[in-house]
Amino acid sequence: MTLLSLADDAVKNALAAGAQAAEAFAMTYRTKSVYIEQDVPKVAEERTEAGIGLKVAVGKRVAFTSASLEGPRDVRTATATAMKSVKMVPEDPDFPGFTSFRVMGKVEKTHDAKTAETPVEELVEMALELTAAGKVRKDVTVPKGIFRVQDYELRVANSEGAEGSHRGTLVFLYFTAKSGTKTRAGEGIIKSLGVSLSQQDFQAIGKRLGARSVENLEASALREKIAGTVVMDPLDLGEMLIQTVGSAVNAEDVRRKRSPWQDKRGQKVASEGINIADMPRLPAGLSSCAVDDEGNPTADRPLVADGILRDFVHDHYNAALLGGKGGNAFRRAVATIEGAYARPAQCSISNLVVEPGTQSLDEIIGSVQKGVYIEKLAAPEVNQFSGAFALEVRNAAIIEKGELKDHVKYALLVGNMFDGLKNVAATGRELRPSHGFLTATGCCYLPPLAFDGFELVGQK
Amino acid sequence: MRELAKSALKVFEKTGVDFGDIRTEERKSTTIRIANEQLQALSSVVRKGFSVRAFRRGAWGYSSGTSFTLDSVRRAAEAAARIAHANSARGLPRSSLKSIKPMKRRLKPVVQIDPANIGLDEKTELAMTVSRAQRIGPKVASTFAIYGEWDHAFEVANTVGTDVSWREVRTRIGGQAVAAEGDKRDFAYDFTDGTGGYEIVKAVDPNEMGKTIAEEAIELLTAKKPPGGMMTVITDPDISGLLAHEVMGHASEGDEITKRRSFLTDIVGKKVGSPLVTMYDDGTYPGAHGTIQFDGEGTPGHKTRIIDRGVYAGYMHSLETSGTLKMPLTGNGRAENYSRRVWVRMTNTYFAPGDDKFDEIVEETKDGLLTHKSISGMEDPVGGGFQAVALMGHLVKNGEIGPAVRGMTLTGKALEILKSVDMASREFKLSGGFCGKGEEDYVPVSSGGPYMRSKIIVGGG
Repeated sequence: MTLLSLADDAVKNALAAGAQAAEAFAMTYRTKSVYIEQDVPKVAEERTEAGIGLKVAVGKRVAFTSASLEGPRDVRTATATAMKSVKMVPEDPDFPGFTSFRVMGKVEKTHDAKTAETPVEELVEMALELTAAGKVRKDVTVPKGIFRVQDYELRVANSEGAEGSHRGTLVFLYFTAKSGTKTRAGEGIIKSLGVSLSQQDFQAIGKRLGARSVENLEASALREKIAGTVVMDPLDLGEMLIQTVGSAVNAEDVRRKRSPWQDKRGQKVASEGINIADMPRLPAGLSSCAVDDEGNPTADRPLVADGILRDFVHDHYNAALLGGKGGNAFRRAVATIEGAYARPAQCSISNLVVEPGTQSLDEIIGSVQKGVYIEKLAAPEVNQFSGAFALEVRNAAIIEKGELKDHVKYALLVGNMFDGLKNVAATGRELRPSHGFLTATGCCYLPPLAFDGFELVGQK
Repeated sequence: MRELAKSALKVFEKTGVDFGDIRTEERKSTTIRIANEQLQALSSVVRKGFSVRAFRRGAWGYSSGTSFTLDSVRRAAEAAARIAHANSARGLPRSSLKSIKPMKRRLKPVVQIDPANIGLDEKTELAMTVSRAQRIGPKVASTFAIYGEWDHAFEVANTVGTDVSWREVRTRIGGQAVAAEGDKRDFAYDFTDGTGGYEIVKAVDPNEMGKTIAEEAIELLTAKKPPGGMMTVITDPDISGLLAHEVMGHASEGDEITKRRSFLTDIVGKKVGSPLVTMYDDGTYPGAHGTIQFDGEGTPGHKTRIIDRGVYAGYMHSLETSGTLKMPLTGNGRAENYSRRVWVRMTNTYFAPGDDKFDEIVEETKDGLLTHKSISGMEDPVGGGFQAVALMGHLVKNGEIGPAVRGMTLTGKALEILKSVDMASREFKLSGGFCGKGEEDYVPVSSGGPYMRSKIIVGGG
């Protein structure tokens, strides 16, 4: 018996206990983390966890329960809880039952054995390499850094014969640097994600981190309003797109009339030439997998083609109600896999991919007469329903006649992301991953984008 | 637990670490989600796990697991000790843990109605009512309601001899409506939560909650763009609380001081606000969402004065920051769960109420903006900058509350804002939620305060 095989046992147990249908999701994972504080590895850790999520149905009544997993006793307890709950909930007249696919195969490069087996002591060395590279000047320190590697394995099975397995590795870096003096400080923040350690260039990340803190320190307060072209780095922009596009294409939000794109299939939602797809089969993608978290096979799906909305992403439930194809039910976040078994699968993007263009970031900046380059925002939060945002910038530089000029701060980037998508001025060629809220499912791969219509407003 | 603790503590003794502890947790929760007046999901969670940590010469080693066997705990403790030894050998800057006396206590939660004794049908109906009540007209595009309960049991034992156990019970009811008209779309929300039993959500009128949420969402469809720039702002308790929590609170966490990352480093005794500004972090506040009996290190919850009538008073601490800075222990060493580290975190963080009546503040405001509820806020311990997004607001003209304006971003330097506070209301409220530090490690907290009048930069909308 392995802990993952308890998914199959849970289904059998539930049926034996009176469920008419059942679906189980079991996972095991290991976490190794290093926390840098004030340039030194203050905390290091190794953790393991296993858990199971069990959904049972009696007629049209459905309940979900989950439990951390030590052995068969936890499965029996979870089953008993689920069966008790399911008798007390109202019917869901739309419940379509569970899927019946048996998914084989896997997506390439989602699991890196070398990454999974790297001991925490080596991760400490890598974190220190990044930290040392971040000290680009004497006054720069690295007060805080999180470096986490996870490897996980999951199995999904249900009473209709569906089954599938997946394994992956995740690498997450979040570091801050501080420069300046006691009375005048600048901060740089950097994040990086991937599925293998080999994707991380610790020297380059560290140097950029340190440089951001210096640029923030030396930035001048913006006093005017800049209404030219806004070029945005992928990381925070990706988070903004996950909140807006990720929700707008979500069939659950469409069905519940929460999506601003609910009636816009076949209509223009983005500039010509903009292509956005959901790509769960992307090799080495953070959210890549052959099977989704309720047992459906995944498939790459064009969502926006040449600026026109073509499709939404569906889990099994919404596919049955709206007539789409399932394969987009997820519980796994990409910044951390922790606790994924404790959440019911929900309709979600996997890897939302904005098709890259042909220009490098330098070429895009070189083509802008008057504008601003936004590299880091304080918190990239957008109203997912209206698309409106007003966000404080942390690292930004004025662009004049194709060249980066002064770095600025104390300024708000103001605009509307849904309008912005219709005013994309340029698309870069280098794809980078970005993620949403810590436990948010799905992620976004995108290049740098340039927008017309946003404003940078000084606060002074 | 006793045997598991003994096993871990024995390893720590053998391996020669300076300090070690073990925390076991059993985390039960139930969530009921209602979408468009239909059950979307009922989920029950039981997560059980343990965390061991070892401290040696400034370095921590952690390990955790979900297998409660003596062998698993022993191996985890050995791993934690090994990691602590390895990192301490790097010659980290010395830090010391606060010297503590062993404490042995078993505490029960303050609960009037144990949620476990209430049927799922009643809880589902409560959430369903909040969802149904939002359906007040054709402009309501979507309704949502959520009921949640959390019952977490903890035990902490350490090498000093502390052995404490307690339970934290929390409940929540809330909703969110999306209103739409043509291409316009916006949302509003409300919720009530706290540390306590079912009595917290039972006190809520679900019909009134749902109706108000829907009315506010509809109001936002026709709300105007707010004015921009520096202006007189009456922050409601939600936004006042974000100023307390996000800027002054995070920057007052002891680890930000030991790292010298906070703009409030070395500021005790200095003026940071107007005399109307007094601020606390209070883990003992009865019934609030961030209230704790013990923190994750077994230190009792504490009321800590951070600002006293405009003068900065002190920081929040864990065992390590208290020991390193030689300041009083405040019971702020918290962890999201057994698979997360303990570090300095807030509990219930708020500005104390003032003497003014809310109506008086409005009457004495010629030209300003009154905020209503928050959407988000962001910490900035290095720069001391304030960024919060309000759900909506109302213009205030010549002492009267005027038309609604759309959600806006509020920014500025926190100390400049606090120094400009010239009125604070008697009316006071705390709002619960979950706070992350950096980007993760979410713990239950609350923040709040009175209506406060100050000068803030307004943008967006």
